[in-house]
This record gives sequence, C-alpha cells and structure tokens, in this order.
Amino acid sequence: MQKEQSMRVENLVKNFGSGESLVSVLDGASFTINKGELIALVAPSGAGKTTLLMMLGCVVEPTSGGIWLGEEKVYGNRWLTHNSRKIRRQKIGFIFQAHYLIPFLNVLENVTLVPQTNKVPTKEANAHAMELLKYFDIAEKAYAKPSQLSGGQNQRVAIARALANNPEIILADEPTAALDTERSISVVKMLKKIATEQNVAIIMVTHDERMLEYCDRVMKIENKKVVFE
Amino acid sequence: MINLAQKDISHTLGKFVVTAMGVGMLLGIVLIMIGVYRGLLVDAQILLDSVHADIWVVQENTMGPFAESSRIHEDLKDSLKVIEGIDKAEAMTFQNLQLYGQEKPVRVTAVGYNPHAEINPINKNHLIQGRVLGQAHYEVVVSVETGFKLHDTINIGRNIYTVVGVLTKGCVSSSGDPLIYVSLKDAQELQFSYSNANIRNDRDRGIASGGDTHIANAIVATIKAGYDAKEIAKKISMWKHQSVFTNEEQITVLTKNLVERSAKQIGLFTVILVVVSTIIIGLIIYTMTLEKIKEISIMKLIGIPDSLIVKMVVQETVLLGFFAFVFGTVFSQLTYDKFPKRVVLESPDAFILFGVIIIASILASFVGVAKVVHADPTVAIGG
Repeated sequence: MQKEQSMRVENLVKNFGSGESLVSVLDGASFTINKGELIALVAPSGAGKTTLLMMLGCVVEPTSGGIWLGEEKVYGNRWLTHNSRKIRRQKIGFIFQAHYLIPFLNVLENVTLVPQTNKVPTKEANAHAMELLKYFDIAEKAYAKPSQLSGGQNQRVAIARALANNPEIILADEPTAALDTERSISVVKMLKKIATEQNVAIIMVTHDERMLEYCDRVMKIENKKVVFE
Repeated sequence: MINLAQKDISHTLGKFVVTAMGVGMLLGIVLIMIGVYRGLLVDAQILLDSVHADIWVVQENTMGPFAESSRIHEDLKDSLKVIEGIDKAEAMTFQNLQLYGQEKPVRVTAVGYNPHAEINPINKNHLIQGRVLGQAHYEVVVSVETGFKLHDTINIGRNIYTVVGVLTKGCVSSSGDPLIYVSLKDAQELQFSYSNANIRNDRDRGIASGGDTHIANAIVATIKAGYDAKEIAKKISMWKHQSVFTNEEQITVLTKNLVERSAKQIGLFTVILVVVSTIIIGLIIYTMTLEKIKEISIMKLIGIPDSLIVKMVVQETVLLGFFAFVFGTVFSQLTYDKFPKRVVLESPDAFILFGVIIIASILASFVGVAKVVHADPTVAIGG
C-alpha cells in the first residue's frame, strides 16, 4: 500500500551571508516523510539541525528549493503564502525541550489555543482536546495550571497541544534532552505510538543514540546533505 | 475564543491589583490637584457671594481690595446713595490679621462692616452658632476653621473681642484664610490707627498722624431693579474719580487675575503627573511583557498571530489604566476632605481624566506592543 506523504523537500538550500562571508548550511537536501513515521534527526552540533528544523517549521526562510506539507506546496524558492504563521498553526505541531506551556492558561486552554485561533468552534476544540488529554491519561488535570502539574504531565500536555490542530507533521526539538534514560525511552515510545495511532509524521531531533532504535528512520546531515540510515 | 488578557491578569491578580493601586494613587493626586484648583475658584467667590453687592467702588486706578491696596473715604457711601439707581451703599474693610490664642497663630481675613447698616456681608445660612454682629464694638463672628468657639475671647490689636457667632467650615477668603467679621469701626481702628507710642513719636518729629480713620477699602452698593449696573458704574467712575467694578467684573478679577497663576501652576503639575503616570504605566507594561517574552515567542512559533498577542497587551494596559482610575477616584474621595484647603471634586473632571488615562494607556501599551512585534519565535528551538 502506498504510504501517505506528510512532507516532501526538494533540493533545499540554505546559506547565511553573501560573498566572501557566505556560509552554506544545506546544499540541496531532498527527502520525503510519510505519515505515521517517527524520524530521528541526528547531526553534530553546528551541522544545521536547528536551521533545518526551523525551515521545515516555516520559521526560517530557505535560500531556495521546495517544501510540501501534505499535498500543498508551501515553499518554492519563496514562501507561497504571505502568512507562514498560519501554515504553522494549521499544519505543524511543535514539541520543545521544555514543555513551554503558557503558564496563565490551564491545561485545556493550552491545548485548545491553536485550534481556537484556527476558528474551530470552542465546543468542538474542547471535545477534541479532552479526547487527547484522555489519550495521554491526563484528562483529570484539564483545569489545572501547568504549575500544578509534574514535569512528565506537562510534557504530555505539550504533546497533546502539538496534536490539537491535527498537523501534517510534528517537529520535536530534543524532547528527551532534559530527561534520564528511562524517561527518555518512555517519551520516545510514546512518540512512536502517537505517530502510528494518530497517523502523523514526527521528526525528532536527538543526540541520544539509544533512542534511535525506537525510530523508523534516522535522518543525518552529512556534508550539507540530508541522508537516511 | 480565549481572552488572553483576562487569563494573564487572573494568573497574577495580586500583582496587578497592587500595581493598579500604586498608579491609582498617582491618579488620585491628579484628581485632588484639579480639585484644589476648583476649590480656589469656589473660595474666591464665597466672600463676593456673601456680600451680594452689585457694584464695588474702590480707590481710583486700583482693582480693589482683593487684588491690591485700596483706600477710599467712608462717607463716599452717602454720595453714592443719592445717585439714581443706587439702592443701598455701605463701606467695608478687608484686611489680613493673625489671631492669637490657639496653639499657633491663625491667619485670617477680617471683614469690617457696619452691623447696623442695610448690607450685611454675613451669609446667615453659614451661621452655625450664635448670631451676627449686634454691637458697634468688640464683637467678632469667626469661621469654625479658626478654632475659636462661641463666647471665646480673642485679643485683637489693643482690645478684647468676644465671639458672638461661628460660621460653617469653608467660609474662607480667596487666599483660603478663614473669614472673621468685626464692626467697621473696630476694623478701621485695627487697620488705620497707630499705637499711642507711635503717635507720640510722630508728634515729637512734627508729623501729624493718627488722624482720620474714617477710611474704608471699598464701598459696596446694590442697585434698584430695572437699572443697569454697568451704566451706573460708568457714571460713578466718571464723576467720583474712583474705580468701579460690577460684581461680575470683581469675580473676574478674583478668578482670572488672582487665581490664574495658581491655576497655571496646578495645571502644569497635573499635566506632569499625567505624563508621569503614562510613563509608569508604559514601564509596567514593558516589564510585564518582558516577563512573558518567552511565552510570547512560543505563541508566535506555534502560530498565534501578532494581532491576538497585541490585543492581550493593549487590553491589559487599558484595564490597568481603568482600575488605576477607579482606585484613584476612591483614593481622592477618601482623602480630599483631609486637605487644609478646599478640594472640590467634580464628575466632569473625573470623566475627562478617565478619557485622558484611557488614551494614555493605549499610548503606553505601544512599548509592550513593540516588544511583542520584535519577539523572536526561534528562541524556543535549539535549546
């Protein structure tokens, strides 16, 4: 069965500066990521992981190339929409090293903030958020503030927030960096489960090689190119 | 849709309330400053309203006893009484005195009038104890703010006066000094008589002094119905060689000429306080925005539009201004009567200040908005 495409990147180039001070970070990266895949992005510091992640997240503009989210081309040598933030809130989910929940919103509000900004009716957004919270076994904390939750609970809420807008892809920036091995494995297993059960692609930046075995593919940046293992 | 401003304020309610109270006290002082100005205007007219004269005749080329020294012969009143259209005319004196007998000397404005004349400058509605003057000598009616009570005795000049009447709080001159009333004869002696030693000294030097005390500071007159005060004033000015003011003109002298500089001073203070309040609100909002800058960056990264975040900052600023105004109003209402001078709080002034503060809050929010616009959404990525 043909796998459904989540993201496609073609000949992506990113340079910083110009002339003699030009620094090339990526030189013609091309790859496709399918729904349901958990991809590990591994590279040494300074190789361009963060830059690649920010380009895929429509935060930083590439120098040239093409990016497709689902079937929609969002970048073709320039942004094809004037509002890249709208693309982010409609098609991309983000998970960070820390949970980065909004401290003055409760759990439910944190999860529904993006859908409500996407003009999903409050009732519908709340129902979907509660489903996600139940999925992560944290529904009873729906009206608690992040400060009233443990680190693990907050991380689960942050993952629920990333899923709340039914994204094409989730970009996870070292979600296990601050965790011990046991907890790290637990989080990566959870991400794999989410990718499969929610049918969403996840690109996870990691430095921890012990996590790679739980991922479907490993993406590396070598000599300014993206390669898969 | 989630109201971010409401959620953020609820999250840090105590801090928000204390901040609003602090700014509110500043705004309360602004309201009181405006009230002090209003009080000056009210004080300036109390004496004029009590005298209830239509015409004020004063020394030629002067603006009258409230603006500058004015001396005029007492018997001019008799000349005025025969002018067509004049109903009543009486001589009066106005001078500042220090009354002793309290813990500290009390500065007062003394009004001298003839207790048996037809024009009585004491507004009987202001009399809370005793009576108006009944004798030609040694009686005094005092404002309650002097601290003297009914039947107290006060040494004034070379004589002892008995308090026969007490006036309600707020009976003050344009300078805010409490009013007292003495007979015209007593007032003339206090103002124009020299001491015995001084008279002896002058005699030794060959100077004739201590003569005429039948001087007043102004002759006040009322006019009969159907006559024009301005026409009569013009006639008196032409034939009697005096300066003559209608009551309206005298009010103008007091409220415009005398109070104008105070009004400008208070106005400047008020403007400075409003500007300071605006700057403080701006700084508070800037700090509040800085405290949330990480969350703002995250919101921008996950796709929340600037408009929603800016709306939060502007709403918080306007709410801070609103609650500061409410606290300021409460503060001014609780404290205005503790001030030694009259403070008159008027609703229209409060409404204008409210408008100014809302506009100032919107302007102050721009510093926070600028911070939001420039917040970098990439700070959350890459550790």
